[in-house]
Amino acid sequence: MIAFHLEARSGVPTYLQLVQQVRQAIRLGVLRPGDQLPTVKEVVGSLTINPNTVLKAYRELDREGLVEGRRGIGTFVSDELPTTPPDGVRELRAGLQRWIDRARASGLDDESIEALFADAVRPPAVSRVA
Amino acid sequence: MTWVAWRQQRTETLITVGILALLAALLLPTGLDMASTYHRNGLAACLGPSASLSCRQAIDDFGARFDSLNSLIAWFTLVPGLIGILLAAPFVLQLEHGTYRLDWTQSITRRRWISGKLGLAIVVGLAASLLFTLLTTWWRTPLVHLEGRMDASVFDSEGTVVFAYTLFGLGLALAAGAVWRRAVPALIVGFTGYFAGRVFVDTWLRQRFIAPVRATWSASGPSPANYRHAWVISEYRSDKVGHPIAPLGACTGSTGAKRIIDPSCIMEKGTGYMHAVYEPASRFWALQGIETAVFGSVALALILFAAVWTNRRAA
Amino acid sequence: MSESIALEADGLGKRYGANWALRDCTLELPAGSVTALVGPNGAGKTTLLQLACGLSSPTAGTVRVLGLSPQEDAHALLPRVGFVAQEHPLHRSFTIRETLKLGRKLNPGWDDAYARERIERLGLPLGKRIAKLSGGQQAQVALTLALAKRPELLLLDEPVASLDPVARREFLNTIMEAVSEDGVTVVLSSHIIADLQRVCDQLVILSGGRAELVGSIDDILASHRLLTGARGDAEEVARVHAVIRESHTGRQTSLLVRANGHVYDSRWELHEIDLEEIVLAYLGYGRSAEPAPVPIEEAASR
Repeated sequence: MIAFHLEARSGVPTYLQLVQQVRQAIRLGVLRPGDQLPTVKEVVGSLTINPNTVLKAYRELDREGLVEGRRGIGTFVSDELPTTPPDGVRELRAGLQRWIDRARASGLDDESIEALFADAVRPPAVSRVA
Repeated sequence: MTWVAWRQQRTETLITVGILALLAALLLPTGLDMASTYHRNGLAACLGPSASLSCRQAIDDFGARFDSLNSLIAWFTLVPGLIGILLAAPFVLQLEHGTYRLDWTQSITRRRWISGKLGLAIVVGLAASLLFTLLTTWWRTPLVHLEGRMDASVFDSEGTVVFAYTLFGLGLALAAGAVWRRAVPALIVGFTGYFAGRVFVDTWLRQRFIAPVRATWSASGPSPANYRHAWVISEYRSDKVGHPIAPLGACTGSTGAKRIIDPSCIMEKGTGYMHAVYEPASRFWALQGIETAVFGSVALALILFAAVWTNRRAA
Repeated sequence: MSESIALEADGLGKRYGANWALRDCTLELPAGSVTALVGPNGAGKTTLLQLACGLSSPTAGTVRVLGLSPQEDAHALLPRVGFVAQEHPLHRSFTIRETLKLGRKLNPGWDDAYARERIERLGLPLGKRIAKLSGGQQAQVALTLALAKRPELLLLDEPVASLDPVARREFLNTIMEAVSEDGVTVVLSSHIIADLQRVCDQLVILSGGRAELVGSIDDILASHRLLTGARGDAEEVARVHAVIRESHTGRQTSLLVRANGHVYDSRWELHEIDLEEIVLAYLGYGRSAEPAPVPIEEAASR
């Protein structure tokens, strides 16, 4: 079972924070296929957030194929997840390491590297403004 | 709404009951004492215009014993006004503290709320007035037998006027409270308005309700039949036509250093007559009715104003 | 269907004497939404809420609640709208039991079981006088009174202003429960913005009696950006996007914009900003009075 948390003073919309946390939890294996997500009522009770927000987050996850809602019972992690194959991840990881080594060699400190990276990888909300 | 209005008026109703209980505690023992003295001394037999000496003496004694108490009780005429103002308090305090916003956003309309609260205040006020009148009327019975009930301090605690006085006090406090939405101004306006209104009517207006009777009669003869127990507005020695005269002044001459009063002049001109302006006792109910109507209509106008003003004004 | 809009104002205005407390206010709040009404004191928040629940009547324009007029259809509308006024007024000499009885007597749709269950869950004894309760407890009793008539719309005027953080969280939690269980539409005014991003999905910013911004919070967060860059002017940006706030320091310019599409301008660095910053910008905070004078060396080097 996942426990949500909120960054209240974030520029990221609340529903998106929930979506990101579910994605991360699935990625790390905290949530496995078939696990039930907390009910809307439970999330509302623990976080004091708008139930519409929870519904919106779950709808988005459903749209991405990560979860499925079973009427009358709850929302569950999909049995079939669109994951990147493990090989792909390892290869990406290696490529990333090489890039980081090059960046460090050209004199960038860690913070500048992170800023460059964040700049290139904007959260979906910003690109949607386009 | 009835329960709500009751509960919101509970304290003030209890205070009213307390005031009446206090009144009763004061009036009951003295009233019983007065009634038993009256009967014991056989004063009931002395009521006619007959001038038996022993009756006169008994009446004088009775008066000497109870008149000061009577004057004290006369101050109780402020009590109906006090009760009226008190019963306005729940309404005005709700406006002051803003709790009307709670009541007006339940499911009843503003109109229902206003009529419920004001209606209950009026009902309790009238009930208190009834008790007050019954109490004071009973207390004064012996004195009324002896002296009648037209005199100002008696008139205003008998009959129907007390109901109008109470509503008058209520109306003043409600109207002031509706406009200012604060209890203290409402209280001040209520008290001063009640006092001023009562004094005005007592001392000036009441005698103008009905044109008083004017009569002149020989000083050595009996007074008119309807003069008994009347409300005497003025009474003085007069000439045959009723013009007031200073009894001795016109008939005093001076020869040298001595002042001489001419007896035949006095016989002809002066001390022979009495003139009075008065309202006979038979007009008791007519005057009661008019005074009740005066105060009552002003009271109802004020209460209506308070209701309409509160209904119209924004929160 | 008009009832999918819970609250609708069209050119709504209210004048007290010579002063317009609310002016030219036009908005639509969907049913089931939770709207934050923010603005400084005197901005018109209380006025708007009082117009909506019928405590006062408009000087100009119209307001419709659940498709009805709060003034003309008061009798039909009052049972469907719950209101908690500022300072959550209650009759201080009443006990909790008597307060609930008042609710029962004055509301045909009163759900007594719900009310008692809530009071019990709050751990409050029915025989306790209102005056003896803490601020947070009084606020909860006032909220119970408003919710137990099972309204479709709940209007709250600065409900958490005088509450400590724990009481505030509990209060908002109760409201969120009511939203999730009964689909109540909520409008709550506040000058504390911190809680609102998690609780509300719609925002109305009022300032000086006018509605400066109305919209869904997600859209607002997604479309507002802080642009920072080297000292310069906002003209080019302003041609495409709405510049809400402009501020300059010696070497840097910051622009808070409502983006009209994507911001393609490599001169500017984009940042997301939280709701409070956006609201403050609309309320005029942080604006540079005039652009600071450019140092002589920089001017010469241009």
